[in-house]
Amino acid sequence: MSIPEILAALEASQLSGRIRDSLYLFPLIESFHVLGLTMVFGTIAIVDLRLLGWASTRRPFSRVALDVLNWTWLAFALTVATGVLMFITNAGVYYHNLSFRLKMGMLVLSGINMLVFKQTAARSIGRWDRERSAPPVGRTVAAVSLIVWISVIFLGRWIGFTSTRAQPAGDSGISIDIESLLPK
Amino acid sequence: MNQFAEWLSQTSWSLVIQTHEWIIPTVQSIHIVAIGVILASVIMIDLRILGWAGRDQTLVETTERFGPWLSGALCVLLLTGALMVVGEPARELLAFSFWFKMCLVVVGVTTAGAFQLALKRHERHWETTLVNRWSIKSAAVLTLLVWVGIVILGRLIAYDHVWGSWSMSPKA
Repeated sequence: MSIPEILAALEASQLSGRIRDSLYLFPLIESFHVLGLTMVFGTIAIVDLRLLGWASTRRPFSRVALDVLNWTWLAFALTVATGVLMFITNAGVYYHNLSFRLKMGMLVLSGINMLVFKQTAARSIGRWDRERSAPPVGRTVAAVSLIVWISVIFLGRWIGFTSTRAQPAGDSGISIDIESLLPK
Repeated sequence: MNQFAEWLSQTSWSLVIQTHEWIIPTVQSIHIVAIGVILASVIMIDLRILGWAGRDQTLVETTERFGPWLSGALCVLLLTGALMVVGEPARELLAFSFWFKMCLVVVGVTTAGAFQLALKRHERHWETTLVNRWSIKSAAVLTLLVWVGIVILGRLIAYDHVWGSWSMSPKA
């Protein structure tokens, strides 16, 4: 199957149709997507700020991470699941949307960033766990992580403003701004 | 409220926001970043009260770590939120989700403020007794749900039709 065929199949799926046809499903799914991603960002930021030496510095890094990361993964699972559901309702449009592509690129980058951390600073954790901040490579990973996740939030919002919806025919005689009635 | 929204939409601030397309998405994004900080802070304090995280820290230490971030992010949230109301008065002020959300914000902020004050006044009582009380643990879960509700209602402002006749928004 080629990519256009896969996208078309996703859009034609029963699940996709049910979400599109419902007045309530898409708004609810999107709301839980925001809930998940705010939890992902907020909890990851706690770990990143600890690595940078900006917060929670009196606690060992490993304890801070242990407290937080299970919740991060749980929230990430919620965000991915709801993200996939939104994607299949309009797969062709999202696939070609620049903000969507950049956002997916950022997510890949966050994965690589995590692997870099596991291969470097995480291996010598015993030596800096109680230090105020992580070694330079750990601090770099943390800074990249914060920038990447904030970008993910911005790009995600930009998808909503740039993905084309069915445009109502323009009529300057109508005083209501139709654009403002569309969900953003 | 219709008239107020109409008046607000004609103010120069509102017109500036309306005529620069990048302002609303930027402000919304900052708003989401700030709610992320708040949600995570509330989660960490509530998990500490429930005894599920941060047990090597006292309740006071946990609150000192997250309280200032909570208040700081709250200021950002109120500021960006106000900009969105000024920029799109009808979208916000006529939405049922918006007013429901504002009620929850009042509850959430009052609870957070009252908790931090009460903790400062009766530190030892909180650390030894109150934190173990069933009622306080339930309150922690409830506050978390209030903030979860705030996030969800915030997004639902864009889809106020889900409330049917409760919404004052003009029907598309």
